[in-house]
Amino acid sequence: MNRKLVNIVLIVLAVAIVVVIGKDFIGKKAGKNIENPYEYNIDEFRQVDSTQILYTETLNFPVKVHDWGGITVSDSMIIVATTNELIKFNYSGKEILRKSLIDTATCITIDDNRQIWIGMRHYVVMYDLNGTLVKRWNSFGDRSVITSLAVSGENVYVADAGNRIVHQCNTNGQILRKIGEKNEQKGISGFAIPSPYFDVAIDDGGFLWAANTGKHTFENYNPDGSLRTSWGITSFKVEGFSGCCNPAHISILDDNSFITSEKGMPRIKIYDQHGQFTGVVAPPAAFDGSLAPDIAVDKQHRVIALDFERQQVRIFEKKQE
Amino acid sequence: MSDNKEPKSIERRRFIRSGMQMALAVSLGGVAGISFLKATPKDLVWQIDPFKCVQCGRCATECVVTPSAVKCVHAYALCGYCDLCGGYLKPDANARSTAAENQLCPTAAIKRKFIEEPYYEYEIIEDLCIGCAKCVAGCTAFGNGSFHLQIRHNLCKNCNDCAIARVCPAEAFVRVPADTPYLIKGDFTKGGKGKKA
Repeated sequence: MNRKLVNIVLIVLAVAIVVVIGKDFIGKKAGKNIENPYEYNIDEFRQVDSTQILYTETLNFPVKVHDWGGITVSDSMIIVATTNELIKFNYSGKEILRKSLIDTATCITIDDNRQIWIGMRHYVVMYDLNGTLVKRWNSFGDRSVITSLAVSGENVYVADAGNRIVHQCNTNGQILRKIGEKNEQKGISGFAIPSPYFDVAIDDGGFLWAANTGKHTFENYNPDGSLRTSWGITSFKVEGFSGCCNPAHISILDDNSFITSEKGMPRIKIYDQHGQFTGVVAPPAAFDGSLAPDIAVDKQHRVIALDFERQQVRIFEKKQE
Repeated sequence: MSDNKEPKSIERRRFIRSGMQMALAVSLGGVAGISFLKATPKDLVWQIDPFKCVQCGRCATECVVTPSAVKCVHAYALCGYCDLCGGYLKPDANARSTAAENQLCPTAAIKRKFIEEPYYEYEIIEDLCIGCAKCVAGCTAFGNGSFHLQIRHNLCKNCNDCAIARVCPAEAFVRVPADTPYLIKGDFTKGGKGKKA
């Protein structure tokens, strides 16, 4: 009798041990969802109230290339610079021109005379609308990393993330001034550019705006290189900028509103001319991955985004009231 | 004609002697070979591929060593702009500093050293770090991903079947040569492995 009882106890113990080991083994298997006591949930920052989303995506079309330099728009054209090609589309997504570039493009803009300016890593070139090379400037040096161009009249502003300055040049590439250079005597702290995201744009008055991405600020400069004004909001919330190098890309509408594109948690937002948050063009849920789409705006206040992750040109229009 | 055949007993003795010599040579060669193999880079240890890590927190809870032998490291060559980025800070931090109440780190293991305005060099206090990857999650989501986890081999017991590797949901635990036991971002990516730093 006693022996029988001992056997039963032993069998129960053996089964219990097997259950515990099995549960531990199966329950913690790599694919199983185990609660993370140290979880840092960033999803809450990805959420955007639907009332804050002011734009809607009206069209997108694919651009199947390995890598891009950037996007710009003019009248009825969308122009994309890839690493080695210049491609023109109409607003329906139909390709109307494709030309080879002489080097790897990093950025692109178009001026009022419909001349296409393209930044290569160390120098700048200018093409006409037919994709014919017109000008090629001298190199800004091995340290330079050109990330953005903006043209205002006879001034071409070249954002150089490598040297952390904006070169103010004439249209022949002659450097007239270095803007934003660190100067302790003048109290200029300089641009803090942790990675090659350094965008510039021109407002309706022809003044230069530069995104000081390390400090999450916009800086406005006079033609003589002096600081005119600045604004910025560092925050993880939707109305601010956070993380490394944001806003990664900027554009300015003709009413001087700012359109911003962020990396890390990709999203496109709109701010008024005073830097007050107005709303969201495209929330993080509209994007895959972490790359900031390059952006351009047109006179109809459409926002055209070059989505590097989805390999698409995406057109966003303001929702009807 | 003389008979050259040796007696059977001598043949057997010679056979045993040469057999023993052969066995000794083989065993000595084997020992030497094993020693050589042990001393060569083919010895493997566990390490975390930072590009596969998903910051699940299991490195802190599943390691057989307490606190975990997995620690955060800072690839300073990749990025050192933590104070500007704020990826390691709590979202509602009241200041951009490494004060304990501002850090995501539950043990305040991150310290900084002033370089020049506005740059700081960030270090991880290993004795405090528990390998929870909370700071790594913030740095990866908002920054350039210079904070990442590595198994510290001065602490690791090098279990044959790593307890964390068994439960890692991203299969980020890999075997690497013992003479190059770390996979620091920016270093091993330069070796042409085709990964983005």
